[in-house]
Amino acid sequence: MGRYVVRRLLQVIPVLIGVTFIIFCLVFALPGDPIQALAGDKRADPNIAAILRAHYHLNEPLYQQYWHYISGVFTGDLGETYNGRAISDIVSERFPVTLKLGLTSFAIEAVIGVLAGILSALKRGKFLDNVVLVATLVLISIPVFVFGSVLQLEFGMSLKLTPVAGIEKGWPQSYILPAIVLAATSMAYIARLVRSSMTESIRADYVRTAIAKGLPRRRVIGVHALRNSMIPVVTFLGFDLGALMGGAIITERVFNMPGLGGQLAQSLYLRERPVVVGLVTLLVLIYLVANLVVDLLYAVLDPRIRYE
Amino acid sequence: MRGAKSAKWVAIAAVVALGATACGGGGGDSSSGSGKGNGVVSVEIGEPQNSLVPSNTYETEGGQVINALFTGLTKLDASNKVVNAMAESIETKDNKVWTIKLKSGYTFHNGEKVTAQSFVDAWNYGANQTNAQQTNPLFSHIAGYSDLNPGEGKKPSTDKMSGLKAVDDSTLQVTLSGEFSAFPSQLSFTAFVPLPQAFFKDPKGFGEAPIGNGPFEMKGKFKHNELIATTKYDKYPDASKIEVKGVNFKIYSNQDTAYKDLVAGNLDSLLTIPTSGLPTYKKDLPNRTIDEADSAVGYIGFPIKYNKAFQNADLRKSISMAIDRQTIADKVFLGARTPADDYISPIIDGYRKGACGDACTLNVAKAKELYKKSGGLPGNKLELGYNADGGHKEWIEAVANQLQQNLGLKVTAKPFEQFQTILNDLDAKKYQGAFRMAWSMDYPDAEDYLRPVFSKDAIANGSNYSGYVNESFEKLLVKGDQAPTHEDAVKYYQQADDVLLKDMPYIPVYFYTLNAGFSDKIKSMKVAGHQILWDTVKLS
Repeated sequence: MGRYVVRRLLQVIPVLIGVTFIIFCLVFALPGDPIQALAGDKRADPNIAAILRAHYHLNEPLYQQYWHYISGVFTGDLGETYNGRAISDIVSERFPVTLKLGLTSFAIEAVIGVLAGILSALKRGKFLDNVVLVATLVLISIPVFVFGSVLQLEFGMSLKLTPVAGIEKGWPQSYILPAIVLAATSMAYIARLVRSSMTESIRADYVRTAIAKGLPRRRVIGVHALRNSMIPVVTFLGFDLGALMGGAIITERVFNMPGLGGQLAQSLYLRERPVVVGLVTLLVLIYLVANLVVDLLYAVLDPRIRYE
Repeated sequence: MRGAKSAKWVAIAAVVALGATACGGGGGDSSSGSGKGNGVVSVEIGEPQNSLVPSNTYETEGGQVINALFTGLTKLDASNKVVNAMAESIETKDNKVWTIKLKSGYTFHNGEKVTAQSFVDAWNYGANQTNAQQTNPLFSHIAGYSDLNPGEGKKPSTDKMSGLKAVDDSTLQVTLSGEFSAFPSQLSFTAFVPLPQAFFKDPKGFGEAPIGNGPFEMKGKFKHNELIATTKYDKYPDASKIEVKGVNFKIYSNQDTAYKDLVAGNLDSLLTIPTSGLPTYKKDLPNRTIDEADSAVGYIGFPIKYNKAFQNADLRKSISMAIDRQTIADKVFLGARTPADDYISPIIDGYRKGACGDACTLNVAKAKELYKKSGGLPGNKLELGYNADGGHKEWIEAVANQLQQNLGLKVTAKPFEQFQTILNDLDAKKYQGAFRMAWSMDYPDAEDYLRPVFSKDAIANGSNYSGYVNESFEKLLVKGDQAPTHEDAVKYYQQADDVLLKDMPYIPVYFYTLNAGFSDKIKSMKVAGHQILWDTVKLS
């Protein structure tokens, strides 16, 4: 198991180099001029623009620019934006917001999604099951920004239970509404995933055996059936944790949260290659770690799975 | 056994997840709390393009903050007139050598006295190419500017402009490289404010927590994408005229969200009501809206310089006459624009209502006639380029439809991903079609609507993307610069404007309007040049 983890971690290095290079090329290929973007809607002064371009190596070919960037990264310097802010500052400012938002969503979707799925599976065909099915269908089909705006209008503006936007009030008040919005779709998927795999497990022989042995119902459902049903769910959750970190662009915009999603969108718009690459790299790292944790959890859930 | 272990795993994971979210979460700051009655108001801005250094701020978002933190020599009043701010008097005999006396009593927020030298140092910094400041070209009228800007790869031989002299602590003498009657007006732009010594020691750090000489001082640091908090500076000479005790600039990435916050009472002022709010904002904010002309003009431009098809003025006029400006202003923009009838904005001294006359009025028959007379466009085809990032799709498509109907042209609207992509293609002489363009003023003077957009110099250094050149226009500009009085200058600038109206290098389509709203915490406020005039803000 230890060797397995080390091997997986070593794999991260080539993946990161590959990813940063691909992202760098992609942003490089976009039309538009980051120096003109600094000047807003006015034309950048040609002399000043030329000086800034030289300063940020923007006249050099792609591989040289990439080399400047990556050699900086290896010495611990993530570089700076074209308006002179250190990228490490941006990350340390914005990552906590996204982390809090992402993990709150993650908790919401895991807890509510799994509970709804279990209840639905146990009451198959009954009223409660239908409620869950309809609710998840609705959540899956509503676009995120519509759902976000509706919640904002209801809870923020009409009922005034939560702030409309921003993070002034801190966690949890400012985070709860956007986290629900962010979690909604995945929550619905998880509920359905749990429902179908639970339905299967409940009918399985070993569950029948467990019931026949006279084990309490809670233990049969909670341990025997649920544990076996969790493998696809954990896979989805692991994948989704990464997606939550990166996919918050719309939610963060609707709720005006200064997180990574908004920064990524903004930097992409301003053609700030180093920022985009830095942030995406961070997201890739989170993905890789989350997937590693998922793979390790498999063994916990199903003892037949072994790593060497 | 196994089961118990796995349950523990899940429990631990859940605890870790919740714990991670909780820790550090409680530290939500209350410093920005704007409870009713404490006199602190919150204002919407977008994230400033650059850090908060006045000479590096060439856009309205950061400009609003700079305006609250700093006071320059002149400023705009509620009717967009330039009046003295820190200047006691501004005198000149020849529009070239200007003697400016400073009012006393102004200090920077760190206690340092504001002197003539504070201005000299700040402007020398802004004009020096080594510092690569965005507003660098604004200093180009001052003698010695070219010494500080020898071009890329070369080092300036000096770091001082010969035209700047601090005669004594309260007298500043500025020599320009040529006559320029609009100079006092230009001084109202935020790039011309003074800077304290502390700035030069650490420009980067300063940009995160600027020390100004204005009515408000920074409270803590610039929290990017979130908040810039300020409190009233008690030692400001005019502090008694300002009711507001502090301003929180709340940064929004989305104006729809800001609008919701305004209606919910979490935000006190929004200078641009988003399109989603326009149909209802007067009802949502009863008696708490401002609707007045703003400084910007929207055009359709032509790459005259390199596309021969557009070189006939009659052709451009025929296109102009086939556009129904009123419909666009009312139906597409829901009244948030007004039809343009001049190159100069209605808020500027020198604007003449209806100056454009027939050429800016819908007249299908005349337009057709002129179009025929001009020889028309090759294949009767016209392309209209616009940037898809700025909400221009609707009106450009409306114009395309109108031209198609009224002139029988085949018009295609061509989206560009960003405004910069259009600019780059025009620079590279790649784009052949007509394009949307706009101009907002840097300082309230008729000159600012003419030279930066249509002069020969502006082809290389300004915003003359059409490549328009007319010598008599250039001469009239210079006459305006040299005019002994403001009234005379306006007269010459209007004559220059007439030349443009005859040639129509760009078609003026609409004037922007300011549709702003404020919360019930504010009784009244006035806005000039897209900046809140803080001494006019009355709290309820």
